[in-house]
Amino acid sequence: MQPLRIALVQFAPRLGVLEENLARHRELLAEARAAGAGLVVFPELGLTGYQLQDLAAEVAMRKDDPRLLGLAAGTDGLSTVVSFVEEADDHRLFISAALLEDGEVRFVHRKLFLPTYGLFDERRFFAAGDRLRTVDSRLGVKLGIAICEDFWHLGVAETLALDGAQLLINVSSSPGRDLAAIHEVGLGTAVSWRTLMRTYAQLTTSFAVFCNRVGMDETISFWGGSEVIAPSGEALFTAPLFDEGLYTVDVELGDVRRERIGLPLLRDERPELHLRELRRILAHRTGLEIDEASEPTEGGEVGPPGAKAAGRRDRWP
Amino acid sequence: MSAAPGGRQGEPNDGAGRLFELPPELAIDTAIARRVIVDFVRNQLRQAGFSRGLLGLSGGIDSALVAFLTAEAIGPENLLCVLMPYRTSSPESVEHARLVIERLGCASDLVDISPMVDGYFGRDGQPGAAGVAEGEASALRRGNLMARERMCVLYDRSVVWGGLVVGTGNKTESLIGYTTLFGDSACAFNPIGDLYKSQVRQVAAAVGVPEAIIRKAPSADLWPGQTDEAEAGFSYPELDRLLFWMIDKRRTDEELLAMGFSGPTVERVKRLVATSEFKRQVPPVAKLGPRTTGVDYLYPRRRPGSARK
Repeated sequence: MQPLRIALVQFAPRLGVLEENLARHRELLAEARAAGAGLVVFPELGLTGYQLQDLAAEVAMRKDDPRLLGLAAGTDGLSTVVSFVEEADDHRLFISAALLEDGEVRFVHRKLFLPTYGLFDERRFFAAGDRLRTVDSRLGVKLGIAICEDFWHLGVAETLALDGAQLLINVSSSPGRDLAAIHEVGLGTAVSWRTLMRTYAQLTTSFAVFCNRVGMDETISFWGGSEVIAPSGEALFTAPLFDEGLYTVDVELGDVRRERIGLPLLRDERPELHLRELRRILAHRTGLEIDEASEPTEGGEVGPPGAKAAGRRDRWP
Repeated sequence: MSAAPGGRQGEPNDGAGRLFELPPELAIDTAIARRVIVDFVRNQLRQAGFSRGLLGLSGGIDSALVAFLTAEAIGPENLLCVLMPYRTSSPESVEHARLVIERLGCASDLVDISPMVDGYFGRDGQPGAAGVAEGEASALRRGNLMARERMCVLYDRSVVWGGLVVGTGNKTESLIGYTTLFGDSACAFNPIGDLYKSQVRQVAAAVGVPEAIIRKAPSADLWPGQTDEAEAGFSYPELDRLLFWMIDKRRTDEELLAMGFSGPTVERVKRLVATSEFKRQVPPVAKLGPRTTGVDYLYPRRRPGSARK
């Protein structure tokens, strides 16, 4: 199989200047194409910048916005992930990542987890997405696309892998912080992300692609350090911290099969077990206890998900 | 990444004479700090439509470090260092400031603030604009006025120089409120406001600030022989450690005591932090209209169109 060349576009968008960022995307896309890339990944909110606050509504685009379609038109023979503020029909704003392929907008993922703590204030300005799906790509494998904080929640990578993803892509605008000298790379945030991406790649036996921006918005600096991790958990490439650049990495997609044959972790996943226990936990947390009688007995068969719904009783009629 | 000498150093030049004391938990990666700060200075200026900066150079370590980092960010030819001694300021302060200017090769300016301060408070029994009713003004009043006169000079020079005022206050003094509101804390942006004094020393050593400046006791230089540490009653390494565990690491009083900090010190520092909250925030505006700045009108400072043309 021909290796897939992945281009990581570790660049610094200009805050709130949509037209300029669009132009920059077109240039970088052309550069990636010239470098022979088959998959080009831009960072979270690369089209708008991150620290938008009330500017979010001013730079929002619908997914059929001519400007986005115009960018998509330049993706013949390419798979490209770009990220922008998406305005829905009902005028909710989302942080979204779109897969652009062969001239069209093929798929849009809306950020599921919006950090609103510490230096983050996303929930104030954005709505959270509520669909987690993989997408078939022209690359011949399913892609699992997530945005930054989505990967700080364990179930996301697992769900994407169970849904068939062989290549996980996380696009980020991760603000660097914690310079304590005890860290392996001198930046606490970088250490955390390296751990996360290696873990996801290894446990889902998938490729994991991390594209993080650089540059500054207001007081925060984004640290780059984009990576490609093999299904074995081995880092194939790590971009420098803070340096702008278009970095290409060649991967053998066949490595996914080899890894999954040798280490059949996905085969051995127990989603039905998760589902059953999650239903129980959720019922308990929301005060809707599940009738114990409908639970499988010791050593019993696991019923279809719908089976337990009938036995549910509402404690708060 | 810049290859700063001693980029990962946690060893503050031990050996013959220890340059400064660095509590291990405060040690940072100075190469990354340097990179982030230099980018920050460059970005702040560029986004505002400026290529030049200026700062008040006191001869102390904070402003010396900011001068080094600003010169690195925008080139020494774009930096103006303004020396603003008062007649009782230590001559050593001006000497040390000159050392920095020579090392960097940046522009400098000296403005004696004595006539301004004396014009207000009077001198040698002669009354100033403030009158004589209360007798000799307290050290607090005099110190505050000096800090604010320096602010006035800097902002006036910023027009002539065509640059922005770069702040030089560190995290320790900001947290305990050892600053003058609209005085030394006034600036367009502050590159070192998230570095404790101990970390300022660490970065200063890494970027080559002259040793004499790193080694000397920090002082507001408001009267001869004054030092911060004598005035505050605790050392910077001790204070930095306490603030770090209390604020950055969210330790409770009980946990701080168990770590060996003394009860009265913890109490006193907590009080200093709480009573100086107002100095670290923009003045509050009474909420009346549909959209109020800082409340529900929230734009980035550097929004499109905000830069000077």
